[in-house]
Amino acid sequence: MQLNFAAREVAIKLVYYGPALSGKTTNLKALHQLVQEKSRGRLMTLETKDDRTLFFDMLPLVFKADSDHGSMNLRVKVFTVPGQVVHSSTRRLVLQGADGIVFVADSQLAETENNAESFLDLRANLKELGRSLSQVPLVIQFNKRDLPNIRTDAEIDELARRGKEPVSKACAVSGVGVLESFFGLLDRTWKHLDVEHDLRDKLGLKPEAFLAMAAASLGHAGQAAALSTAFIGGSPAGSTPTGGSP
Amino acid sequence: MTAQKTQGNALDVVGDVPIRLDEVIDRDALSEMCRSMQALFGIGVRVYASDGALLANVASELDICGLVNESSQGRGACGATVSAAKSVDPGDDGDVVHPCFTGLAYRIVSLDYEGRRIGRIVLGPYAPAGLREPPESLARTVPKLDVLNSTARLAAVARVKPEALGRIARHLKTTIELIIFSSHKAYVTSKLHLYSVRESYRALEEKTQRLEQAHTKLKELDRLKSNFLGTVSHELRTPLTSIIGYSEMLAEGIAGPLSKEQSEFVTTIHGKGEQLLALIMGLLDLSKLDSGTMSLRQAPMQISPTLKEVISTVAPVALKKQVELVLDDDGAACELAADAERLRQVFVNLVDNAVKFTPKGGKVTVRARVADGGPSDDDDGGSVLLAPVRRVVQVSVTDTGIGIPSGERAKVFDAFYQVDSSSTREYGGTGLGLSIVKRIVEAHGGTVVISANEPSGTANEPSGTAHEPSGTVFTVTLPSAQARRTLPSRLPPADRT
Repeated sequence: MQLNFAAREVAIKLVYYGPALSGKTTNLKALHQLVQEKSRGRLMTLETKDDRTLFFDMLPLVFKADSDHGSMNLRVKVFTVPGQVVHSSTRRLVLQGADGIVFVADSQLAETENNAESFLDLRANLKELGRSLSQVPLVIQFNKRDLPNIRTDAEIDELARRGKEPVSKACAVSGVGVLESFFGLLDRTWKHLDVEHDLRDKLGLKPEAFLAMAAASLGHAGQAAALSTAFIGGSPAGSTPTGGSP
Repeated sequence: MTAQKTQGNALDVVGDVPIRLDEVIDRDALSEMCRSMQALFGIGVRVYASDGALLANVASELDICGLVNESSQGRGACGATVSAAKSVDPGDDGDVVHPCFTGLAYRIVSLDYEGRRIGRIVLGPYAPAGLREPPESLARTVPKLDVLNSTARLAAVARVKPEALGRIARHLKTTIELIIFSSHKAYVTSKLHLYSVRESYRALEEKTQRLEQAHTKLKELDRLKSNFLGTVSHELRTPLTSIIGYSEMLAEGIAGPLSKEQSEFVTTIHGKGEQLLALIMGLLDLSKLDSGTMSLRQAPMQISPTLKEVISTVAPVALKKQVELVLDDDGAACELAADAERLRQVFVNLVDNAVKFTPKGGKVTVRARVADGGPSDDDDGGSVLLAPVRRVVQVSVTDTGIGIPSGERAKVFDAFYQVDSSSTREYGGTGLGLSIVKRIVEAHGGTVVISANEPSGTANEPSGTAHEPSGTVFTVTLPSAQARRTLPSRLPPADRT
């Protein structure tokens, strides 16, 4: 997070991580479609070769929020990493300074191993950057729910209830579940930053108010709570990951 | 160089660092575009960065402005208006009209990128649609102004409706913002390319370092191995020398007369001892040649004296076996840069071998010739110039022995290989001789090949023809000293000292 008191600006960085071809870029494109035009910048897609992300994609979302201390500018930059195994160093670069992570998993049974490998890669890269999964808010999205030969809802729910991270399901190609993952992560990220940096005092902005304003600015007024809680498992929204504060 | 360091160079593109308008846009190209806007709509265009730097200024002075600027008060007021237009806050909408005292106006539109104000476009001056006569402010600011003239000049300025101007301004804003986006994207891409290259370089450097360490370690191990071999062979030879020496003394009857049977046993001990010594020496040579630690004392030499020495060494054995031994060197004179002692070893081995496998009444011929080298494997032409310096000495050792089946010929140079394991007993030997020969010849940059001793006149026929070979030819080719000095090749260079 970058906090500029003088300019009353807060910049948050969210990263979509996951194995190759799991639909990270598709999520970003859908998100771009689903948010209000005046609050979004251009979607920057870098160097695609045969529709594969070589470096990263980036979507800036910009909106104003009224706080007790006056109006402020919020900037949420959403990145995707290149999923292919060879681009590990680029993934690490993009991951640098991430405030929250959506892990986009491929629901197909055949991709189980790639999901696990990518998750271990995420863990290793965070470690290399001197951070750990317990310090970064993370939500897991099971994408491609429309395909055959996928892990069933019941199986995912069962696994999710036993795991630490909140899990949601999506079909990013048709935009289903995209906003849920985004707002779910945005909510958890802000709450985490709030605890770490005491934002409610410094900015005069409570987490609930922040999320409501974000939802309204992005064109989904009144849906903040519904969008951010469509998860199974994980710590209940509002609590923060353990070991977050230095 | 650490991963962190290479990241540092690219971090700003994955962070939230504000971009600077003057860094992502080319001033000349921007001016060109603004000129075309002015030509299209007749309205001046100025583009400023957020720090006030003027990036494009395309505005021709209107007649009314020229009139106003003739007076010093007019000039002052005009300057103040222009600088106000440069700094007036365009508000949340990023679009504001700034009036001029002449009744004209400026339209100011902000340039935004990722939610940040990074500059502004100032359009004007233009005449608002409702402007009919000069406002009071004009006469107040420039009291001495020619009213009639100024009214006429003001009337000549084209009227622009606010909506139309808004559309023009928005179009220009969109265009410039698109340029900023494209240029920022190109900047990010190039930064990442650079980062990738640096990162690959760093990874390669790390790998090289690891390889270097491994190499150093291996070299050390190799040295230890050589030391070990040296020590072991020494330790093995010392007691063996005693065994050989004492058995020899016993056989000679120095310690008293021996019975026939005792003498036979002692002679066997002595013979096997010599055999074991030869095997140890052979192994030592082989390991030295393999590890490249055998130092060749290469000096200028001729092949003939060496061959004569070889013949005289092997002659007694040949005589005993009743095998004819012939040297045909035809006065072959060509300077070699070689280790004479090692070459002697090579030819003793070959000739001894030939005698060993040739039956009674047979013939072993050693033939030496000097030849121009043929085209090399990687011939790039120019052989008419290169062949004379590519001279070689060819020595062939031909026997009329049992011969070697063509399928086995390549293998005879392998260590411990025997063509027929049952013949081991008949002919003896360790199977090391030829492998040592090959390695020594190659260490001199030469080659050794084996072929069948075809009946004379048919030597060039392809192998596998009807008649069985009646013997074997080993041909050793050694490059001349001149060839090794002058030719860039895969051959190890001659030691010129």
